[in-house]
Amino acid sequence: MLAAVPDAGPVIHLAEIDSLDLLSVFDTLLVPETVYREVEAGGVPDALSDIPYERVEADERHVETEELDAGERAAIAVAKEHEVVLLTDDLVAREAASDVGVEVHGSIGVIALGCGRGLIERGEAASLMRALQRETSLFVTDAVVERGIQLLDEQ
Amino acid sequence: MAAEISDRVREIAEARGLPESEVFERALERGLEDLWEDLVLARYLDGELDREEAIERVGRTKVERAERERTVVEEDVDWGLNA
Repeated sequence: MLAAVPDAGPVIHLAEIDSLDLLSVFDTLLVPETVYREVEAGGVPDALSDIPYERVEADERHVETEELDAGERAAIAVAKEHEVVLLTDDLVAREAASDVGVEVHGSIGVIALGCGRGLIERGEAASLMRALQRETSLFVTDAVVERGIQLLDEQ
Repeated sequence: MAAEISDRVREIAEARGLPESEVFERALERGLEDLWEDLVLARYLDGELDREEAIERVGRTKVERAERERTVVEEDVDWGLNA
């Protein structure tokens, strides 16, 4: 069983490259209400309705990092409470989650997971990783994405 | 896209009181700087350039950011392919 909770970042970034359906690779997907409202503020992507997910309330009291926004704190709290993988593209949120023992990955990991589980071919995974870097609001260095694509080919 | 670029150049030129040619010149410089940084970081990550030289060319902040991103991407791809 593979279960995850995203903050708004991966939902928005995967939607921007028309790949939100990759989130269906998870057996269980929990979406905190705070995160849903953040995504909703920019317009809920149509593809989200095609993915099974459960909206949940979060108890954010134990996530006290002030550097994080409400959605990131909520997602970390849910990940910790339900012992599921956190999905975030924010480096600070990633470090905060790791610090409290939460396993954490980002949109690139979701693409690799889709590839690993046979939802997409390696060539498509490479194209999506490049699109993630060039066509979305995600900031990641070009050379780092190429390193990720290289790893796809090596494994 | 071409029309959008022309509109933006015109708007920037008017707002900044610059000739459009200078707006193009500044855009080229900024774009070139980004491409240069990408090249330096790619060479560093590929092991063709040592760390100190990369820092000298693009600054410590960008090199350290690229290192953190590399770790994250490597972890993510490894997890994705093996989860």
